[in-house]
Amino acid sequence: MKRSIDNFGTFFSVINILLAFIFLIFPIIVAIIMSFDGRSYLGLFPPPEYSLRWYERFFSDAYYLQGLKTSLIIAIIATVVSTTIGVSAAIGLDRYQGIGKQALESLFLSPLVVPAVVIGFALLMFFAALGIFDGFTRLLGGHLIITFPYTVRTTLAGLVGIRKSLTEAAMNLGATEGQAFWDVTFPLARTGIVAGSVFAFAFSMDDVAVSLFLTSPQTYTLPVAMISMMRTNFDLTIAAAAVILMTFTLCLIIILDWVIGLDKIIGKGVYRS
Amino acid sequence: MNILELRNVTKRFGNFTAVDKVSFSVQKGKVLSLLGPSGCGKTTTLRLISGFENVDEGSILVSGKDVVNKRPYERNVGLLFQDYALFPHMSVEQNVAYGMKHRGFEKKLIPNRTNEMLELVKLIGFEKRKPGQLSGGQQQRVALARSLAISPEIILLDEPLSALDAKLRQELRFELKEILNTVNATTIVVTHDQEEAMSLGDSVIVMNEGKIIQEGHPTDIYEKPNSKFVAEFVGRSNWFNGNIVNKADDGILKIKTTEGFEFNILESLTPELSNGNYEICVRPERISLEKNEIIDEDSYINLLPGKVVDVAHLGPDIHTVIEVSNKRMIKVVEKYTGQVLKNNGTNVNLYFYPKDCIIVSSEK
Repeated sequence: MKRSIDNFGTFFSVINILLAFIFLIFPIIVAIIMSFDGRSYLGLFPPPEYSLRWYERFFSDAYYLQGLKTSLIIAIIATVVSTTIGVSAAIGLDRYQGIGKQALESLFLSPLVVPAVVIGFALLMFFAALGIFDGFTRLLGGHLIITFPYTVRTTLAGLVGIRKSLTEAAMNLGATEGQAFWDVTFPLARTGIVAGSVFAFAFSMDDVAVSLFLTSPQTYTLPVAMISMMRTNFDLTIAAAAVILMTFTLCLIIILDWVIGLDKIIGKGVYRS
Repeated sequence: MNILELRNVTKRFGNFTAVDKVSFSVQKGKVLSLLGPSGCGKTTTLRLISGFENVDEGSILVSGKDVVNKRPYERNVGLLFQDYALFPHMSVEQNVAYGMKHRGFEKKLIPNRTNEMLELVKLIGFEKRKPGQLSGGQQQRVALARSLAISPEIILLDEPLSALDAKLRQELRFELKEILNTVNATTIVVTHDQEEAMSLGDSVIVMNEGKIIQEGHPTDIYEKPNSKFVAEFVGRSNWFNGNIVNKADDGILKIKTTEGFEFNILESLTPELSNGNYEICVRPERISLEKNEIIDEDSYINLLPGKVVDVAHLGPDIHTVIEVSNKRMIKVVEKYTGQVLKNNGTNVNLYFYPKDCIIVSSEK
């Protein structure tokens, strides 16, 4: 009896993994295959012939290209700024031992919990109240807010394993506090910091909910462009756009794996001696 | 010459006084042990000297100059951390060279000195290893080399051997002493282990609750502790409580314990006290079970009859527990020289000299 419960448990988890695989990976594979469809109309899966026509369409469509350009610029700036602020905030939080530490930490991570639609709407009102109507500024502001929790979170995780005595040892050996940071804290927290910036980039590239509220007719991101295209003329260019969006994120992850090793980020997240 | 001098140094954390008016000095090339239980303020004292905590009152002089307002990197004080604090992402070589880079050593001299230091701690051949690939003992030696490389005026060791297992500890204690001697380093060792403190230190300071209780040569600390706390901290002891009942001539006092025993003690070892109530400590190794060994004209030798309740043979020593009155146990330690072990229940006599009775105040 005991045994059969155990066996059932194993069976159940295998089924779960299979289901997850089917629902996570299968649609993506379908989208990728469909983006190479050679038919000029939206037909059934699988395509009878293959071509790059939807990609050609994408790269000749000024509307999509504008979206991709904006997305990339916003994502890069948001990643750099959010990493810088996030790392500073995490170091501050890590050192601060007074009252309100927990509250402050929760506050910094709150954008993770608040629905993106709420953030988008709130920001729209906020920017309007401030008299900021420029699409780029609003988008950048919104993306900073949604990416910031990731950079704080992962940097904090990276700092946890770094003993205070390491910084003190550096100072005892003649390094100033700043030097101790760059020589010891930063290299040890690097995996956490880099992981944070990757998440930031990926989430910025991917975001729809917040961006939808903050775009202007001239400034919009690629996912927003995809959504509006979906409403007006639905064709497989969207599939091509999706694959391109995915490629950017994937490239980043591959580069990252090559530079520091992904297992370190996902597995341990923290460098330990 | 005093390399380091502390004058009435006080440090408070909120209402808690971690270090309370502590004054001492260390001369060039000497090793001072700071001994005390955890939380007695010894580590805080080290952190005050190295500049990681700010002094509330008093002054700290390094080579005659007050360093109280100096930052850690402005003081030439080496600190060996309890966890060694080796930089895990740097090789052994880089760890040792780190301080020299920041202390403005001439660049081309650094590799040479690094090598010299690794030779000193016998780690040649380990230059490229990362700390994670070294044993605990090796890590400690890297940390020591790293601290010594910058030629600090004084080196502070925070529980240097506590992270190692017992067997390794003895070996490394000897090695540590040798290395410190080689470079003639002025040193403070903080430890809660009395053996470590006494074997490494030229002098020992016993601390408790932020205060210095006693300072002296290791032998004096052991033989002439000034309080029950020190006596208990630096060795095993049997305690009696009693009052002076009779003052004999030739410097002998008679004391009557609460159990009703009468002991002879030396007047010269007895502090003057208002209430006349004393604690008497007899070290287990100063008590003899064999009368023939102590044939002596000393008529004042103390005798206490009892019954053996436990015998443990611990290699070089035999530990015997003897019941001298109802449930009153006395520990005795003898050297094992091949003698026949006593059976439980054997009636024995305990002998000890008045000069081996340590007398301290029973007042706190």
